[in-house]
Amino acid sequence: MRPSFFVPLMVAAFLAASLAHLGLFDWQRLTRGVRNLGILGGEMVPPDLTILPTAAAALWETVEMSFAGTLLGFIAALPLSVLGTRNLFANWLSSLARFVAASIRTIPVLLWAIVFVILVGLGPLAGTFGIAAYTVGYLAKIYADLFEGTDPEIIEAVQSTGASKLQLVRYVIVPETANAILAQVLFMLEYNIRASSVLGFVGAGGLGLVIQIYLQSLDYRRLATVLLLVLAIVLVMDGLSAWLRKRFLLSTQGT
Amino acid sequence: MTTALHAQQVWFAYPRHEPVLRAVSLTIPAGKHTVIMGPSGTGKTTLLRVLAGILKPSRGTITVFDEPLAGRSQRQLSSLIGYIPQQLGLVRNLSALDNVLMGALGRLGDAQTLLGIFPRAEIDAAHGALDMMGIDHKSDEQVFHLSGGERQRVAIARTLLQRPRLVIADEFASDLDLVLAYEILGRIRSAAEKNHITFIMSMHRIGLARKFGDEVLAMENGAIVQGFIGNEYLETKSAEASA
Repeated sequence: MRPSFFVPLMVAAFLAASLAHLGLFDWQRLTRGVRNLGILGGEMVPPDLTILPTAAAALWETVEMSFAGTLLGFIAALPLSVLGTRNLFANWLSSLARFVAASIRTIPVLLWAIVFVILVGLGPLAGTFGIAAYTVGYLAKIYADLFEGTDPEIIEAVQSTGASKLQLVRYVIVPETANAILAQVLFMLEYNIRASSVLGFVGAGGLGLVIQIYLQSLDYRRLATVLLLVLAIVLVMDGLSAWLRKRFLLSTQGT
Repeated sequence: MTTALHAQQVWFAYPRHEPVLRAVSLTIPAGKHTVIMGPSGTGKTTLLRVLAGILKPSRGTITVFDEPLAGRSQRQLSSLIGYIPQQLGLVRNLSALDNVLMGALGRLGDAQTLLGIFPRAEIDAAHGALDMMGIDHKSDEQVFHLSGGERQRVAIARTLLQRPRLVIADEFASDLDLVLAYEILGRIRSAAEKNHITFIMSMHRIGLARKFGDEVLAMENGAIVQGFIGNEYLETKSAEASA
């Protein structure tokens, strides 16, 4: 068999086996699911807008948590990612920094939220720290990889002016990667807003608590209002980051 | 005549590869412009990087103004040697002035420069260097927006601010049209004379080498071609080209 067929065939076989094991070929169950979708959809309209003030307050808390958590995580990720840049620091040091980032990243944001609920008690502060922790792990890796990709010729040229490592970071690595730094932090903010809407499930504040209450009381018309609010905020974030990108990134296009 | 740089039996090989430089010995006179010529892939860039102290030679010794190169940090070397890579090594997101100011980083402390603060005298000197290269009117422009020739001027201005005694430039002005290249190389000549700087440049264009080089060295297969004196190599090559 030609090797170019081997890999796709293996992937297809593994996919089919996984889906069979997971129950995708249970047609009865699937048709029931589609029927339920109709019922659930029917019970969601019209959305109950009377809870809008409650939901909006919870939503605002979620936005605050995401914003503060993302920025705290970003600030902590910068030094960690600089240390993780292998062409700048000794191998043991960058490996250590990368190991710390990987360990933080291994734990999903929901688990981080639980950890911080235990540490600082119920409420949005736990959620904020949870988001910050996950953001550090994610951004530190992305940024370290990004920093390593800086054109080595520029680093060499500025190094030969006698610049120190910190000066290299300040004058070469950060300016050269500024676009991607901004793009990634915006992506993280969007991601965190979506992720933090479920942190309330574990008592870490925000919209999640409201969602959980309406889900458990089968109050789908109120749940629909909350989901519409999440959709609205995600759209607003999309627009905001698109504007920011245009405002700050366009000036460097075109070489 | 004082010697700016002296290399004795220098070899260089990347790990698990054939040697790129084979027993290169050369002497660069101070205050002159030496051009290293040769076909591409012959080891010119590697030689310049070894001479600039960026790569460590596998064997052999190099002295710069009678001081050994080995064992010195780039910071220590920065007052002796300036290096301009082929793609110039400018930071595209920063302004021309910021790029030139980087030439002063080697003599300034971390604390002020990390905050973006440069002494007034350095800023004035940076404008002076840009002015000497005829580009001070674009000091606030991002390097992104500058043309190829303008970037070459900025790269030279950065090296001038660094105030080294020897500048090593790889394939400088190679992609420019001849008129522009002559103008820029002319400015480099007067800046070099004024600041007592020795230049080593690699080039592959005979016309430029003839115009700029006081001394011409020829390189083939990782070694300096012996037996050519002065501009003899140029004459041979231009005879070949016109034949």
